[in-house]
Amino acid sequence: MHFWQDSEFGNRMITLMAALVLVLQIVMVTERWIVTNIRAFALQSFLLACIANTIAYYNNAPHIYAAAVFMLLVKAILLPVMFERLVTKIEIRQEIEPLINAPISVIITGLLTLLAYVVAESFHRPDEPLSPASLGHNTLAVAIALFLIGFFMMVNRRKALTQVLALLSLENGIFLAAISLTYGMPMIVEVGIFFDVLVAGMVLAILVYRIRETFDSMDVSRLSRLKG
Amino acid sequence: MIEKALAVAFQIGLVLLLSPLVTGFNRVLKARAQTRRGPSLLQPYRDLYKLLRKGMVIPDTASWIFTATPFVLFVTTLLASLLIPMVSVAAPLSLFGGVLAVVYLLALGRFFLALAGLDTGSSFGGLGSSREMTISAIAEPALMLAVFTVAIGAGSTNLSIVAQSAQGQSWRFLAPSQMLAFAALFIVLIAETGRIPVDNLSTHLELTMIHEAMILEYSGPYLALIEWAAAIKQLVLMMLLVNVFFPFGLSADWSPGAVLFSLVLFSLKLLLLSIVVAIVEIGNAKMRLFRVPELLAIAFVLGALALVSTFLFQG
Repeated sequence: MHFWQDSEFGNRMITLMAALVLVLQIVMVTERWIVTNIRAFALQSFLLACIANTIAYYNNAPHIYAAAVFMLLVKAILLPVMFERLVTKIEIRQEIEPLINAPISVIITGLLTLLAYVVAESFHRPDEPLSPASLGHNTLAVAIALFLIGFFMMVNRRKALTQVLALLSLENGIFLAAISLTYGMPMIVEVGIFFDVLVAGMVLAILVYRIRETFDSMDVSRLSRLKG
Repeated sequence: MIEKALAVAFQIGLVLLLSPLVTGFNRVLKARAQTRRGPSLLQPYRDLYKLLRKGMVIPDTASWIFTATPFVLFVTTLLASLLIPMVSVAAPLSLFGGVLAVVYLLALGRFFLALAGLDTGSSFGGLGSSREMTISAIAEPALMLAVFTVAIGAGSTNLSIVAQSAQGQSWRFLAPSQMLAFAALFIVLIAETGRIPVDNLSTHLELTMIHEAMILEYSGPYLALIEWAAAIKQLVLMMLLVNVFFPFGLSADWSPGAVLFSLVLFSLKLLLLSIVVAIVEIGNAKMRLFRVPELLAIAFVLGALALVSTFLFQG
């Protein structure tokens, strides 16, 4: 038996990639440049696709392969390319201006991670033997952390485009939870979700463009003044 | 008892001889990457020999701190190197203390060096000391967090026990806590040894220098001691990185065959790490001083994440 067929090795790889996903989420919180943010998101999605792939390999589950491929196509390639084009099109290369500065954001992020750990611990079964089916169960804490930090990023940002990015990274957390706990959802639901995300991304991109055209800014706080 | 003394002597000799070589190797690598011929690999030895024979100038304003610092720095650094497993799992002085002793022995040396920078009353020295302290104030917590992560995994801060327990586990270095702690420690290595994004040891440009500013007033044998201590400190941190995170090949006893084998493996690991450090140095420009705390904050966050993830991914 080769070492990569050992599910202990698979477990290590999944855990490692999940940790990198979490690191990238924190990079996204602190990073000031929009383009770097988009690339961090693309890399995060790519890693999630890798995790899905690994789980599919050890469980011989073709429909998870399909989910991984969708993930790769839609969120690691299509959406990032679209957003980068949008950034060049509306000529915003400037920095993200978060409401809370980077050091405090990092501390809040850390607290949210701890909260995720506390929540996930109640689902933790340490006596469960390691088998292909239980691969990735220990990434639930990371999934919840991604979800919470995604929420925090959405609240913390002013520009519409960066809020969209936060929403998508939040969705990444949901994907990780689904894939690690339940082998992923049924195929048809999976396809539906990705289609949903793609359409949402496109609609939001167009919306961002329109906001920018109309208000000369992407700052959503300006949307409160509805009188022309 | 005799065996213990021999082990101590062996490691002292090895550290003293090897540390200038690591510095020399780093210079050669950088020179080659810039298509220069560069100095010989043995140049640091020649420098030390030259400095040790020269006379020295001591400023009139200097107090006893100025003369004590080179010795304190040299001895503390050398002592720290004896607490880390180098070729055998059992570090020669591992009973004396664990990784906390290493961190604080280095801190003691740094404290005296900063005092000596201030002692002569030159404005450059004071500036260098203040910069060094600013950087180490953030680098040290990052170092501690990374080290605690490793210590939790082994259940002890004694580096010999850490290395021993690490040898038993397969795929351990793939664990996220290990990886993150390694990354944090790597940034600390870059910062503490004055490598390029943080400091540049080969320049005396007054606006940027940190380490060189503190030792500007030293000459002759004292300067040799300080340079040597800096080389040893670099080796200490590199040993910490390669032997704590990748402890395979460390010999369990002092039989000549096992020691030779682990010495070869240790040299290979050190070579690899030096190449990575050189690549980082070549690929980066020196940071503005005010950006350096940001880099170290990244190390700190990585260290904290490493610590959290030991609990996050249990099971």
